Amino acid sequence: MILTIKKSDEEILESLKGESAVFIIACAGCAVKSHTADKQAVETISKLLSDNNIKVLGIEILGAVCNTQKAQETLSKNINFQKAKTILFLSCGTGVQAVGSFSDKRLIAVLNSAAIAAVEPSYSKFCSVCGDCILSYTQGICPKTRCPKSLVNGPCGGFVNGKCEIDPAKDCVWVLIYEKLKQNNALDKFLNRFIEPR
Amino acid sequence: MNFKEKLKSNKFLITAELFPPKGTDISSFLMRAESLRDLDAVNVTDNQRASMRTGSLAMCKILLEKGFEPILQITVRDRNRIALQSELLSASVLGIENVLIISGDHPSAGEYPSAKPVYDLDVLQLIKAARTLETGIDLAGKKLKGSPKFCIGAAVNPAATPNDLQVLMLKKKILAGAEFFQTQTIFDAAQYKTFFDKIKNPNVKILAGITLIKSPKFMQFLQKLPGVNIPIKIQERINSASDPLSEGIKICSELISDLKTFSDGVHIMAIGMEEHIPNILSLQ
Ligand code: SF4
Ligand code: SF4
Repeated sequence: MILTIKKSDEEILESLKGESAVFIIACAGCAVKSHTADKQAVETISKLLSDNNIKVLGIEILGAVCNTQKAQETLSKNINFQKAKTILFLSCGTGVQAVGSFSDKRLIAVLNSAAIAAVEPSYSKFCSVCGDCILSYTQGICPKTRCPKSLVNGPCGGFVNGKCEIDPAKDCVWVLIYEKLKQNNALDKFLNRFIEPR
Repeated sequence: MNFKEKLKSNKFLITAELFPPKGTDISSFLMRAESLRDLDAVNVTDNQRASMRTGSLAMCKILLEKGFEPILQITVRDRNRIALQSELLSASVLGIENVLIISGDHPSAGEYPSAKPVYDLDVLQLIKAARTLETGIDLAGKKLKGSPKFCIGAAVNPAATPNDLQVLMLKKKILAGAEFFQTQTIFDAAQYKTFFDKIKNPNVKILAGITLIKSPKFMQFLQKLPGVNIPIKIQERINSASDPLSEGIKICSELISDLKTFSDGVHIMAIGMEEHIPNILSLQ
């Protein structure tokens, strides 16, 4: 799913300068799983708005905002949405643009779209949607995403005790791949495999 | 004999590293270079530690004009495949044959932590790309008018653990076309020998990287770097020396003597203290 993180209150208020009323769209897809569009997140943003004298005209919680057709159907029936000039999004950037594709309203992103991530127990960035998956050659672990240098043919020289030189709190992803290569007797294959630039 | 030919000889090779100036005043660079006259080649770093400096290519060309044999360091950090291939062709046009291809320090380690890390190609892919250019075509399969010739080097870190993964990577780089290696800093010749015995290869030369410890403070800085392992004996010598710099010079010189008994050569990283390199070598 797409991991989203709420922007700072300052940035949100800055983007709302001069606005007196907004309509909120919250996404019950990925953003809810990031806890950035759940009940509490909606309450938090509503409070921020009322504290700053911005009226909330209405709230629509959509199953998945990125389903453009569905979003359009639902929102066209919502009178408060129709009335609003400015829409606040508790969704990823795709959700914002999906609504923007059929609406001329002012669109305000409240969240930063951070990563394609796995959820629980912790959020882990696993994929950067490169469009050309190499997982079959890398023991199911993505170095394009999880190695800060995106090295696809093997590690740099920076791993010490299996940790990454850039963030010693994190495992070097190539060491993780290496351990699996060893387990699966695939070291020779790794040595002789060259992943071409794509 | 040029560097490429020397790689085929039995000569114990000595190279050192120079960093370009931050700015346009190259006088200190040239002064430091003068101390490296007798060396087999001189590396020029490519925005090392991910900090912005004058380009390696320009400084290599200046070294070449002054009669040095430069090694152009190219990282895959800042340029995409168009710019990287173009840089390689430019080097060749300027008469620079030696290139050291490395991944480079990540932007987060440097002066511009939010700079876009490019990494469009990885090290293996760029080594192969250089070899492809030599055959008269580029990565897009387009024909070149005139093809370059390179002597290609890469890096290896003896302190990386698990060590066998680094050994494997070295082999992979040789398969891709690397002809020589320069290692990250080592301080313990005996420990390095164990690693060297695993990686030595008759077809490539591996130069052990060494660093001049100029002061106790500098030693503390080095020790904070991942994988840097300074033997207690050396630490004690630096800490108790009345003149730590000359002790550091002695230590370097002794290390080189030890390395001469088995290594293919050394690569000296004096980090601004290049003026002492002739001294280190004269103690041999
Ligand atoms: S290679 Fe990595 S980034 Fe690309 S699709 Fe596969 S998992 Fe995602
Ligand atoms: S240490 Fe490992 S994960 Fe970190 S940059 Fe190097 S290869 Fe990538």
